Amino acid sequence: MSKKATKEELMIIAVAREIKDYERILLGVGLPTTAGSLAKALHAPNALLMTEAGIIDFKPLVPPNHIADVMCIRGYSYALDLFNTFTTINYRGFVDKAFLGVGQVDKYGNINTSFMGGTPKTGMRLTGAGGAPDFVSYAKETILTLKGGEFVEKLDYLTSPGYLGGGDERDRCGLFPPGSGPSMMISPEAIFRFDKKTKEVYLESLLPGIDLTRVKSKVPWNLKVANPLKPFPAPTDDELDYIRTFAPQHCIPRQVLMELAVKKFLEFAGGKHKGKSG
Amino acid sequence: MPEVTGNKIMTTKEAISRFVNDGDHVVIGNYTVGTCYNQIMEIIRQRKKGLTIYSQSGVFDVEMLIAGDCVSRVVSTYCMRSGGRSGGSMLERYQRAGKIEVEDYSNFTYNARLTAGAQGYSFIPVLPGIMASDVFKVRDFMGGQKFGVVKCPFTGRDLPVVPAANPDVCIVHVQRADKFGNAQYWGSLGSVSWACLASKRVIVSCEEIVDHEIIKSTPQFTIVPSFRVNALIEEPQGGHPSELSGCYNLDLLFWAMMDLANQSEKGFRAWMQEWVYDLPTRAAYLEHYVERFGKEPLDAIKARPYYSAPVNYGSAFTSMWDEEGKMRLFDMTREGFEKFMEEKGLLIDVEKSH
Repeated sequence: MSKKATKEELMIIAVAREIKDYERILLGVGLPTTAGSLAKALHAPNALLMTEAGIIDFKPLVPPNHIADVMCIRGYSYALDLFNTFTTINYRGFVDKAFLGVGQVDKYGNINTSFMGGTPKTGMRLTGAGGAPDFVSYAKETILTLKGGEFVEKLDYLTSPGYLGGGDERDRCGLFPPGSGPSMMISPEAIFRFDKKTKEVYLESLLPGIDLTRVKSKVPWNLKVANPLKPFPAPTDDELDYIRTFAPQHCIPRQVLMELAVKKFLEFAGGKHKGKSG
Repeated sequence: MPEVTGNKIMTTKEAISRFVNDGDHVVIGNYTVGTCYNQIMEIIRQRKKGLTIYSQSGVFDVEMLIAGDCVSRVVSTYCMRSGGRSGGSMLERYQRAGKIEVEDYSNFTYNARLTAGAQGYSFIPVLPGIMASDVFKVRDFMGGQKFGVVKCPFTGRDLPVVPAANPDVCIVHVQRADKFGNAQYWGSLGSVSWACLASKRVIVSCEEIVDHEIIKSTPQFTIVPSFRVNALIEEPQGGHPSELSGCYNLDLLFWAMMDLANQSEKGFRAWMQEWVYDLPTRAAYLEHYVERFGKEPLDAIKARPYYSAPVNYGSAFTSMWDEEGKMRLFDMTREGFEKFMEEKGLLIDVEKSH
């Protein structure tokens, strides 16, 4: 009988289990780094973690704030610059799995992290392309995390190419390593995979307590569903213990975290230390 | 040729005044960490105008410059939406109002432009997959100049290429430099050295100016050599509120304050009045920080030691003459050697030959 877990913890664990020992893993910001750290600590000790900033083969001691965070570690094996990380490691085929976040995603795993609603000049700016397009292109597999993002029929902007129009279009166009592309996607509600032939996204497992109808209602096409649905993997005590030790702040919803942070901030800004000048 | 000789140590005020001009293409050299916030704030205080900003991982640096009305154009790959979904960002506000133009690249293609520029090439191939992305297809102010396509003369393959970027000036903050301007940086390398080397002028601020002997013993950390650096500023805490390896962590509480301020334009401008315009130097900024929040928050984020293992760059000897005054190659004293040259008839008396 395993311990109870939050949705956030279940997502991290599901992503971490995708990492196999000895794999070379490119981590995007946020959930992926906690998942990567968990994998390395528990079941994939020889996995090699890296970021596009050129921090190659590292072990985070606390959750990184971003992909260039060098304060969360104690040293690393190989200091490379960004340009050479993308060429000598990524383009040359040494990224086994890339973990990236998603703003908008379509049926074939094409991703938008640039603009939503309108044109680049009028729409809502998201963070931007960052490193994603070139990693989704050349990593052997990409795993997507859909935290606040949405499913759309047609992306407002195609930042990072998935399976393009579906089927064998990605492999046929000759721009990408054969067989590469998104292999899995996780949201706070479900795990999704991509059909091996049609490359269409389908739902594989529901997170506990989530209603299938609810998930399908958020998808503007008739979302395919695995039959039977795969049961969501139950967390182990070791996994939960690790996440809670390594990244307690990632175990709770962002909103709850923000409430705590604002409270702490107001203490700070209120000049808790006023009068105790240094 | 920009002046790179003589004493280049100066204040931030002088460096920005002399080396950043209205209309310049300015690259923020730092990659997310160690961002040269004081140099950025000084650009704003000096009300520089019409800048094209190159930024790879913009957060508040780009936001401030835009809000300071310093910017006409931004070449970017990533800019934090610090106001969140509802709050937006200054970048978005100004772009929508038509006050700035923005060209969005990806991290690799942006860096590639600087790499090409640093190496003196006019263009450089980038990875073919980008041609399937709207980063390649959608053009803003760069239009046909944003990307090109060439055919590889050896494989016949179509390759996307980007034009070289040679910004007018690179502003960068690092851990240390010597008085000649040899700047050393470690942590996450990103595109920092490319930004410096691509640029016509380089302004380096550092936590500490150290003896040349220290730089000489660790040449592998030098990211830009002295002869490329125009101005050198010693600026402890020059990267605050961002982090710098070996020096200080990210000031998350200060960051939260900026985040909250940027929920609205009005809020951000009020923040800028207090922290940028009203504080003429970094020393004044730090003093104000301590007045408001005490010293403890800064102490709490100070980096603890984790030193690199020393490496031995030594060699067996550094003079052709040993400790006893004998030549290492052949067993002769200096006197004996000169006598030998005389006896062999090798020495010429130049004056006598006239």
